[in-house]
Amino acid sequence: MSDRVTLTLRAALEESIEAEAIVPSAFATLGEAEIRALPVWAGRSRRVLADYFDVRGGQSATVRIVGDVRRAHGIATGMAAGDLVVDGDAGARFAAGMSGGRADVLGSTGDEAGVAMSGGSLHIRGDAGDRVGAGLAGASRGMTGGEIVVGGSVGAHAGARMRRGLLFVGGNAGELAARAIIAGTVIVIGRVGPEPAFASKRGSLVVAGGVDVPATYRHACDYQPPHVRLALTYLARRYDISLGAELVEGTYRRYCGDASTVGRGEILEWIRE
Amino acid sequence: MHVNAVFIDDTFAEAFPMRAARIVVTAVNARWAREAALKLTGFATSVIACKCEAAIERELERHETPDGRPGISVLVFAMDTEGLGKRLVERIGQTVLTCPTTSCFDGLPGAEKRLTPGRSLRVFGDGFQASKVVAGDRFWRVPVMDGECLLQESFGVATGVGGGNFIILGADSRSTLAAAEASVAAIANMEGVILPFPGGIARSGSKVGSRRYKGLAASTNEAFCPTLRPLTASSLPADVDSVLEIVLDGLDEGSIRRAMRAGITAACLPGIRAITAGNYGGKLGPHHFPLRSILDERADAGART
Repeated sequence: MSDRVTLTLRAALEESIEAEAIVPSAFATLGEAEIRALPVWAGRSRRVLADYFDVRGGQSATVRIVGDVRRAHGIATGMAAGDLVVDGDAGARFAAGMSGGRADVLGSTGDEAGVAMSGGSLHIRGDAGDRVGAGLAGASRGMTGGEIVVGGSVGAHAGARMRRGLLFVGGNAGELAARAIIAGTVIVIGRVGPEPAFASKRGSLVVAGGVDVPATYRHACDYQPPHVRLALTYLARRYDISLGAELVEGTYRRYCGDASTVGRGEILEWIRE
Repeated sequence: MHVNAVFIDDTFAEAFPMRAARIVVTAVNARWAREAALKLTGFATSVIACKCEAAIERELERHETPDGRPGISVLVFAMDTEGLGKRLVERIGQTVLTCPTTSCFDGLPGAEKRLTPGRSLRVFGDGFQASKVVAGDRFWRVPVMDGECLLQESFGVATGVGGGNFIILGADSRSTLAAAEASVAAIANMEGVILPFPGGIARSGSKVGSRRYKGLAASTNEAFCPTLRPLTASSLPADVDSVLEIVLDGLDEGSIRRAMRAGITAACLPGIRAITAGNYGGKLGPHHFPLRSILDERADAGART
């Protein structure tokens, strides 16, 4: 048993690998030799973790990955507990189906980070690709709980079909952000792309950097939403994010929609005063 | 034992278990947080007739509140969990929900036992309410005429201590009130304890039941009434013409001990003859607070002789 498990990438990845076996909560019961032998897929070839990583430590749910693993996909799939730090970028489907614990990516991630997430905390210091916090292909629901905090920008369909949870984006979001959300909150400090909150039933899309509000959303009022203040205060404290008082205490324009559905959702647009 | 020439009676205060909740009220500024908290804690001096005991615990700085606004923490005590739940729904619903700009949060997040007044109060939204989960806790957004009232769904329940007390025996009304006020000032803003009576002070010390009227839950404690000295078995020394009581409810014994020590020490002013405490011979409750040992717990409790 050790304090942590450290996976150090031996050489730059020349091919994409599927590394769904790298899961801190699973490492908690595995010795160093067992972790080395965990399967990794490179195309149709079955390899083991030790083919790519130097493994140090075992029987710990605290894991650190050192090296550029942007071509390693599916890391932390189904993570249920523990702590994971990735020292650089990570590949696609990072923390897919995560239900607990904390994952911290010091760089950026590929597409589908935190898809089908149901709990825990995912912090991406850089950017994230498309469908962050959305659902798996064909699923009726996106994330159903937990928190995703992206320091940079995200691609399209951020938080699509979200049922519950909190997705914070420090930069911009691409098209169709918060598409068809059922509940939950998506906060974008930058600008959001076309067709935000399209077909959303409930839930909140909060935008500080500019939004073209669809015609299917109707203006309700300008006010200081207490839940936005609570969420931003929490995020600033928990993730040490610098958010100006003008955002936390600011006035937001509330639009109700999407009128093409039950229309119980909202877009909250920050008003610069 | 004497503190500043004030005699400390060799007796103890007797207290009993209660169920407690801590409510954090925030608002756009300290004034409106206080307005809500004052209403929230109104008519809550004694469980005998008010069904609960409540008071402001302390003011909270912005960094201490969940939403970063000025706040007030309030403690509410009731005899059982069910009763506490009803009081929370009534009081939060009629005072915080109605007060401009306020939000209402749980102040005992670590408590395992939970009550859900927010879930009950959400229906005021008549179907237009919505919920948000932040940091694993659910909050209800209830639409109101100035925007939205944010209410936390669940509040923690602690097993607190009710009925801690000490009694100040003074030469006259003026010096006794001044000593009681000094006690209250010394206890103000101490964490985990409240003084539920007006201004923190009770003048109508009571005994259980009545010597004349059947069915009366409590009646005046004639042994401590100076006007009845020749008519009763008075407990008052000859040089005492005024008596006031400080009643304390706390989240735990330690909170009450600390507050009693501070309050008693502050009350030992010129004109005060003695400090005593109310008890029922140990039959009322399991929590006993011996005055002398409480004062002995700290070396700087005052100049003793």
